[in-house]
Amino acid sequence: MSRWLAEALAVAAKDLRAEFRTRVALNSLALFALTTLAAVSYTIGPYRLATEDRPFLLSVLLWIVIFFAALAGLDRSFVKEEESHTAPLLRLAAAPTVVWAGKLLYNLVLIFVLMAMLAPLFCVLMGFEIAMPWRFAVVLAVGGYALAVITTIVAAIIAQALTRGALFSVLSLPLLLPLLIIVIEGTTAVATGDLASYTQSVRAIVAMAGAMTIVSAFLFPVVWRD
Amino acid sequence: MNRVGLALKWFLFVWMMVVIWAAFMWIPSAQGFKGESSRIVFFHVPTAWVATLAFLVSCIASALYLWRREPKYDFGAAVSNGLGLLYAVLATVTGAIFAKIMWGAYWNWDPRQTSITILLLIYAAYFALRSAVADPEKRATLSAVYSILAFVTVPFLMFIVPRIYFSLHPDVITNADPDNSLDPAHLKVLLASLAGFTGLSVWLYSVGTRIEEIRHRRRQEVL
Amino acid sequence: MSDLTGIMAVTMIIWIGLFAYVYRLDRKVSRLED
Repeated sequence: MSRWLAEALAVAAKDLRAEFRTRVALNSLALFALTTLAAVSYTIGPYRLATEDRPFLLSVLLWIVIFFAALAGLDRSFVKEEESHTAPLLRLAAAPTVVWAGKLLYNLVLIFVLMAMLAPLFCVLMGFEIAMPWRFAVVLAVGGYALAVITTIVAAIIAQALTRGALFSVLSLPLLLPLLIIVIEGTTAVATGDLASYTQSVRAIVAMAGAMTIVSAFLFPVVWRD
Repeated sequence: MNRVGLALKWFLFVWMMVVIWAAFMWIPSAQGFKGESSRIVFFHVPTAWVATLAFLVSCIASALYLWRREPKYDFGAAVSNGLGLLYAVLATVTGAIFAKIMWGAYWNWDPRQTSITILLLIYAAYFALRSAVADPEKRATLSAVYSILAFVTVPFLMFIVPRIYFSLHPDVITNADPDNSLDPAHLKVLLASLAGFTGLSVWLYSVGTRIEEIRHRRRQEVL
Repeated sequence: MSDLTGIMAVTMIIWIGLFAYVYRLDRKVSRLED
C-alpha cells in the first residue's frame, strides 16, 4: 500500500475511532434523519400520496432528509480540529492532501452508514417501491460520494470562519442543489424503472463528483495552509 | 477622468439610448410571443449573459489571487461577484416579468429559473463567507476558493439541469426560435444591447475596483 | 402604441438615472485618486 494512502487511512481511522467513542456526529446525523423520517411518515405515510406522484415525491423526501442530515453532521470533521486545537498538530503531522483524503473518507463512512440505516427504513415506512433496487444502491453510492466531497471542502473553509454552524449550511446548500436535482431524478428513475433517465443521471452525478474531487484536491492545501 | 474615457462613456450613453429606442420603436412585434413581450428579450438576455460573464471574471480573478496573492485580484473577484449578483437579480426579475406575460405566472420553477436562483444563492453565500472572516488575507483566500468551487457547479447548472426537465424556457441553444434568433433585425439589436451591457459592466467593474483600491490604501495608511 | 412609448420612456429615464449615478461616482473616485 502506498505511503500516501496509508497516511490518509490513518487520518480517517483516527477520526472514526474518536467518533465512535463519542458518537457526536453520528448522533446528529441519526437523530436528525430519524426525527424527520418519523415526522414525514406520520404525516404522509404510505397511503396519502397518489400512485403516479409517489416515485418523484418520495425521492424528493428521501434526499431532502439525507441532505439536511448531512448538513447537520458533516462539518464536524474540521470544526472539531479547530475547537480542540489539534489542527496545528495535524498540519505538521501530515501532508495537506493526505488530510483531505482522510477527512473525505471519514465523511464518506458517516454518509454511507447514514444511508444504510435510512434508505431501507424509509422505503419500509413510506411504502417506497423501487423497480431497480441494485441501481438504487448505485445512485445512493455515487450521490453520497458527491455529497461527501462537496461538504468536506466546505467544512474545511468554514472551520476557519467566525460563525461556523449556520455558515456551513449557507455555503453548502447552493453547491449541493444541482446535485440534489440530479439525484432526485436518478432515484425517481430507479423507482419507476426508467433505465435511460437513470443512466443519464448517474453519468451527470459521476461527472459532478469527479469535477469536485479534482478541484477539492487542488484547493484544499490552499485552505488548510495557515 | 481622461479624454478617451470620457468620450467612451458618453458614447455608451448614446449607444444605449439608441438600443432602447430600437428595441421599442424600430423592431416590429415578434410572432409567437404574446403582446410586446418579445422586447424584454433585448434586456433580459444581456443581463443573464453578463451575469455569467461576471462570474467567469470573478473565477479568473480568484484563481489569479490564489496564484499571485496580490490584493487587486481579490478586489476584482469581490467586485465582479457583486456585479454578477446584481445582474443575476435583474435577469431573474426580467425573466419573471416575461414569464408572467407569456405563461401567466411569474414563477414556475422551470429549469432556467431554478438555475438562476441557485446562482443567486451561490453568490449571496459568497458574501456571507466574506463577512464571516476577519483577517483580510484569510478572507481573500477562502472566498477565492469558494468562488472557484461555485464556478465548477455552473456548467452543470447551465447545461445539465435544463436538459433533464421539460422546459418552458425558449431554448436559444438547442432549438432557436425562428422568429427571434434568426431575424437579422432582432439579432442586430440583441447584439447591440449585449455590447452596451458589457460596456456598462466594464465601467462598473473599473469604478468598483478603484473604490476598493482607495479603501485599501487608506487602511494601509492608518497602519 | 402609446403604452409601448410609455414603457420606452420609463426605460430611458432609468438608463439616464443609472448613467448619471455611475458618472458622478466615477468623478468622485477620480478626485479621490489624485
